[in-house]
Parts: sequence; structure tokens; C-alpha cells
Amino acid sequence: MTVRGVALVGGATTKFGVRAMTWTELAQEVGVALFRAVPELRSEDVDSLFVGAAMPERLAFQSHVAPLAAEHLGIRPTRVIQRTELACASGQSAIRSAYAAIAAGLSDVAIAVGIEKMNLPSMAEANTAMACVMDRAWDGPGGATAPSFFAMVAQRHMLEFGTTEEQLAAVSEKNHRFANSNPNAQFHEKTFARDKLLRLPVVAPPLRLGDCSAMTDGAAAVVLVSEERAAQFPGSHAWVRGTGQYSDFHNLANAGSLTDWVGLRRAATEALGRAKIGVHDLDFAEVHDCFTISEIVEYEALGLCGPGEGGRFVEEGRSDLGGDVVVNPRGGLLGCGHPLGATGVAQAVEVHDQFAGKVPAARQVPDPEWALVHNLSGSANVHSVMVYQRGGAS
Amino acid sequence: MSRERRRTRLPLVAPSVPETPEVTVGAPPAPPKRESSKEAPPFLLDFFPLESEAGTRLSRFFDRLREGRLSTTRCPKDDLLHWPPRTACPRCHTEDLEWVDLPDRGRLYAFSAVLVGAPLGMEDDLPFAVGLVDLDGTPLRLFGRVEGRPWNELEIGTTVRVESYEIADGRVFYRFRVAG
Repeated sequence: MTVRGVALVGGATTKFGVRAMTWTELAQEVGVALFRAVPELRSEDVDSLFVGAAMPERLAFQSHVAPLAAEHLGIRPTRVIQRTELACASGQSAIRSAYAAIAAGLSDVAIAVGIEKMNLPSMAEANTAMACVMDRAWDGPGGATAPSFFAMVAQRHMLEFGTTEEQLAAVSEKNHRFANSNPNAQFHEKTFARDKLLRLPVVAPPLRLGDCSAMTDGAAAVVLVSEERAAQFPGSHAWVRGTGQYSDFHNLANAGSLTDWVGLRRAATEALGRAKIGVHDLDFAEVHDCFTISEIVEYEALGLCGPGEGGRFVEEGRSDLGGDVVVNPRGGLLGCGHPLGATGVAQAVEVHDQFAGKVPAARQVPDPEWALVHNLSGSANVHSVMVYQRGGAS
Repeated sequence: MSRERRRTRLPLVAPSVPETPEVTVGAPPAPPKRESSKEAPPFLLDFFPLESEAGTRLSRFFDRLREGRLSTTRCPKDDLLHWPPRTACPRCHTEDLEWVDLPDRGRLYAFSAVLVGAPLGMEDDLPFAVGLVDLDGTPLRLFGRVEGRPWNELEIGTTVRVESYEIADGRVFYRFRVAG
């Protein structure tokens, strides 16, 4: 089978945060934003729709969300329409599926949209929905939650490598600072100095409030097209050059090392190998900082630094603007919030807009050519990686 | 949501030698035994699994747990101990598995605590400690609730015992307790 080139030609997000609106209203808001951001896109040209949504049954009491989103976006897919669910990576799954469909010749113009409504009248219900991401019957009765799992990752990292609370706070400070130049970020207007972060309440020891991404309402959408159709869209594109995924466990008993994420090593090796570049060729990376410790472990698994060196890597500013590689210039999940299905799509929007030089100067990576996007899902059960290269119409 | 829980500690016996293998999970299902639902939350908001033969082919696990024995399945062909217990071996896909008892002691490999944001049915338990426990003499590292000492007095390496406990509607589960 011939594999065609696939370009991500534009995208948009809603404002992320606690939004006074429903799931379908988020879908409509992101549709408005997308068609404004990509004025060359005609709804009748969109042949396929991929909807990343982690748990609308739980959080919006709604199944069969792909046709619901299509109706609200005003498109009538003729080739592929489906929802993708991979918990926290549901959005990247939508993009990967669109990429695969276009590369295989099944689709020419596809929208990948991610939507999640997480703030409910009862946050206990939202917490319950989130805990179902774990192995509900075997880890659930023990009270397994995402913060307590990643807290154990942090505890082991501190024990094995001497990582400090200050280094965790350095991740949070950096990503919140980038979010201050992202008007769509949940914490756009909040500042978090490192000493303030270290005084915030503990959520799951040793993780404090500032170490954890929030429960967020939001949506994001991108347009992916075949190489034959790319010329129809002006400006810089983000060309998909590589993808990789790896899943090696689900129940917490089978996690193996908490501090060496082998799955990410494998997924990144696959994606970078397909792109025929090395990790040091990257200009920036959008990685899954659901918790501060996640970003530190990810530096190491991606090979940006050696095992155990992630804490020092961030503390020395090597993942900041002016460092080795800029990590999470969008503001990360920590600064932007984490609407599960929307996150991976919003990261891809950032890649496109960084390549196009369309983001505010305070977070613009100078002249970027290569970017990597990473999502983990669940308790780092799955790692999903995509590599993009800046390019024009061909 | 508050829920009265009767917590009964049951004696736990952990034989040092796994008992005689017996093929069970491949057997045809027995007639359904009615699951009591008098105090259970709606099924889709309940983390505790269905435990009787009417709801699971792993009811043997819960029957044994009720006797104070933590057990799991083992694939004799692959010499592979499973967690959680399985109805089919994920390596060779046989359904002919045997049940073995697990040791009742282990050491904390890592721990944390849930201080806020508990799921429904667990709000009254806050704060509670959770941990990953290396079960003595096995390759298994089980997750579970850790009782018997406040979370800020736990240490990596702390010895814990496995105990079973009963929830209000009579179902059972396992948890850890710091060894006295």
C-alpha cells in the first residue's frame, strides 16, 4: 500500500477551564474557532471526523458522540466517522487515526477534535469517573487514584535519584509561566512562584496542588489533509513524520519500574526512527505533564537527559526557552488544564502555531523545525508519541 | 454519601507450600447465587466487584478471601503466577489454571495517601494511605489500602500483613495493615 504524506494544516482550541456550558456547546465553540482559524476549510470538503473523548458516558451522560459532534460542527462525513478513547490520550488517538486514514488513502481531508467536560455539579462523581481509568475491580476498591499513583512515582524517584520537591516545583513554575502567555489556558492569569508552589496544600504526598493538572472543560480541533490537498491551505504546515505507541500493562501490580518508563522509550524510538531524526534534533516537545513528576520521568525516557537526571535538567533551565529543548511551551497540562480528550489535540495545535510563528513571543520557540508530542494514559499504561516537521505545501 | 461499613478482620492463614493444583476456572458455571444488593451503591458507581458465581468466574477468589486466604491463579504450563487472578493465561491462553494461596506478609515498595478527591463511597475514609507491596517470596507487587498507621508515619520497607475485610453488603476485599 502506498503511504501518502499527511499535513496538519491548522487548528484551534476553546478557552480551557471551568466553563459554564455543556459537552455539545464545547463542540460548537471549537467548531467556530476551527473554521475561523482555517478559513480555507469548507465543511463539504471534510470527508472524515475523529472525535477524541475519554469518558462522555460518565461525565456528560452521552454515548455515540462522534455523530453528535459532526452534527454540531456542521459536517457530514462520507468516509470515516468514529470516536477514539484512550483515556488521557484520546485526543492524540483521534489525530493518529486521522493520520492513518489519510496515509492509507481512505480519507483526504479529516478533522480530529477532542472534547471533554469534566467539571460537574458533583465533583465526587467526576473523581469516580476518573478512578475508573484504573483497573476498577482490582485497584479501585483500594482507592487507586491518579494523584496517589503518580505520587508513588515521585516518591520512588526521590528515593532512587534524590529528586527534590523544589525540582518538581521547577516544572510547575515553568509550565505555569508559559501558560501566562496562552490566553486559552485555564491558569492564564495565575502566577506560581516556586516558593508559593511549595506552600500549596498536599494532594497526595509528596505531590501538592501545583504538582497536579486540573479537572478542565475544553475542546480542541485540527485539520489533517493528504499531500495532494495541502496546497489548498497557505502557510506553514506540521507534517506528520513519525508515530509510535507502546502499551505494556494496566493493573498497577504489573507496572514494573515506576521511574523508568520503558513504554515511552519504545514509543519514542519508534516515532523518531520513522522520522529519521534523533531526540536532540527536536526544537521543542509537548509532553504529558499530568503531574510534575511525569515531565521529569519523561525527560529521561525520551533520552533528553540520563536516568535520574530529570530533576536537575529542569532546575538548570535545560527544558526552558534558551535551553537544550523547550518542553511544554503551550503551558502544559499543568498550566492549561487537562480536558482528557482535548489535551492531545491542543498540543498539536501548539505545534502548528509554533511552526507558523503565531504564538505570543513569550512562548515562541525560535525558528522551530522539529517537534514531538507525547501523551501517556492511565497510570502511564500507554505512551503515544508523534513527531512533526515544519514545511510548506509539499 | 455516607455508608456504614462493618469491618471485620478475618484470620489469615498463608500456607508456605502452594496447595494441590486444581482446575477450576475452566469448569462450567454453577447455578447463580443471588448477590445481596441491600446496601450496595448503583452498580456503575461501585468499585467493589461482583463476587458471587452469578457475576464472575473468579468467585473462588472471594470465597477464599472470606476464609482469610489471599489467593490467585497460576498457569502450570507457563509456571506463571497471575495478578489479578485470570480466567485465561495471558501468555499461553489456556483456561486450565490452578488456584494458589499467597503469603500474607510483604513490604511497602512505595506509598502515598489520598487526602482529597476520593471517589464516591470513599469520602468518609479520607485521609487514607495506599501502597504497592512486594509480597514475600513472590514476584507480585500488589496495590492496596494501607491501614494501621497514619500515612506520614509509614516508610518504604515497612512490613505489612494482608487482611480481608467485609463491606456493608457482605462482599469482601483485601487490604494491608502495618504488622504490629
